Amino acid sequence: MVSIIGWSRIRSPWILYMCTGACNACDIEVLAALTPRFDVERFGILLKGSPRHADVLVVTGAVTRQVAPRLKRIYEQMPNPKFVIAAGTCATSGGVYWGCYNVLGGIDKVIPVDVYIPGCPVHPQAVIQGVAKLLAKLQEAK
Amino acid sequence: MADPIISLIQILIFPGLIFLFILGLIFEWIDRKVFARFQNRIGPLYTGPRGFLQPLADFIKLLTKEDVTPRYVDKFLFNLLPGIAPVLPVFASFYLPLNGYPILHPFEGDLILIITLMTIYTIIVFMAGWVSTNRFSSIGAARAILQFLGFEIPMFISLASVAIDSASLSITYIADHQPIPYILLQPLGFIIFLIALQAELERVPFDIPEAESEIVAGWLTEYSGPKLAFFRLSNNLMLVFGAGLTTAIFLGGGSGPILPPIIWYLIKMVFVVILSTILRTVFARLRIDQVLSGAWRYLIPLAILQLILAKFLAVLVM
Repeated sequence: MVSIIGWSRIRSPWILYMCTGACNACDIEVLAALTPRFDVERFGILLKGSPRHADVLVVTGAVTRQVAPRLKRIYEQMPNPKFVIAAGTCATSGGVYWGCYNVLGGIDKVIPVDVYIPGCPVHPQAVIQGVAKLLAKLQEAK
Repeated sequence: MADPIISLIQILIFPGLIFLFILGLIFEWIDRKVFARFQNRIGPLYTGPRGFLQPLADFIKLLTKEDVTPRYVDKFLFNLLPGIAPVLPVFASFYLPLNGYPILHPFEGDLILIITLMTIYTIIVFMAGWVSTNRFSSIGAARAILQFLGFEIPMFISLASVAIDSASLSITYIADHQPIPYILLQPLGFIIFLIALQAELERVPFDIPEAESEIVAGWLTEYSGPKLAFFRLSNNLMLVFGAGLTTAIFLGGGSGPILPPIIWYLIKMVFVVILSTILRTVFARLRIDQVLSGAWRYLIPLAILQLILAKFLAVLVM
């Protein structure tokens, strides 16, 4: 019984996408991962509009001070079990904006992160690899 | 005394609850694969053979997620509505002659009963959005009701055209007595019914209530976990029921040579689902004012035209 639940969680990760103040290059690349050329729906990934529906939060952008409480609120609105993917160097550590007066630098200062995907901007294939690594991590934890 | 046992098996297993549930999952798979192929994608691939178990994985995953109830919702209705929503299309499907004869005894007027159930379903959608006390849900709910205002009437009129032509309000009678299927005798009615069905099921180009520009999720926004699973299930079951009703009314039910009626019924239902998915793929989403003005300006006059033609046809036949 437990393995069926684990199987269904690995086979159907629904993502919610959030940008926390970036140059939008990573946003475009993450969007490209959803298009026919890369097609993440093969893995069962659906892009959902509401945090209440999603399992995985994909965040891009260095966290600006204004958006930080909102990011925390969106993370708390997601139901358990939930996972976070930091896409892009800005989301990982602040990137080009590290040290700016209005940037916290990396989303792990606000919410716990499971997978970091470097790149400026991320390649869509790297996004898919990151998601695959997250699913592999879940598979082992099963 | 074997009769109640047979009825119980019919209601629970075939062609009742479990059969409709499995059919709902299969139709969702067909829908997603056809949608993906039209977009030059592949669609679900790795879950089961060719992604066949993807809808099942979605359903089970949603059942095991945490159920979040926001603080200010109406708790009684919030918890009750996801339970009621799948029941309505299942109950309506019990009147479809899936295996040549429906599960519940057909009577003159079960077409009207089925239409009433579909109406109640739209009201449940509205209540689900309204009770969530989220501003996005309220907008989604209001748009669902507005869309319903536009599309119930052409749907009823196109069904009434068929009922007038066959002089009966019983779905089983209409399905059985179609020497020439009504899709050929009343093609205008079929097209109007297909468009209105697309709006009833809240599929593109009429999915404004549900996926309001995908920034928020419309009336479904606040539902998570098992409640979302049941609403998605009710969506699939409505697709099964809509395809079944179209088949019974316009395509002649289970009639066809050699194969048993249930197989023909399934083949025709798959045909209707693929048609609906093609409509979903090709069109973009309409605005709510475009939907309403289109419905009242074009669909209703065409439906009335079809009604007049059907009356003439019935008079000619007699």
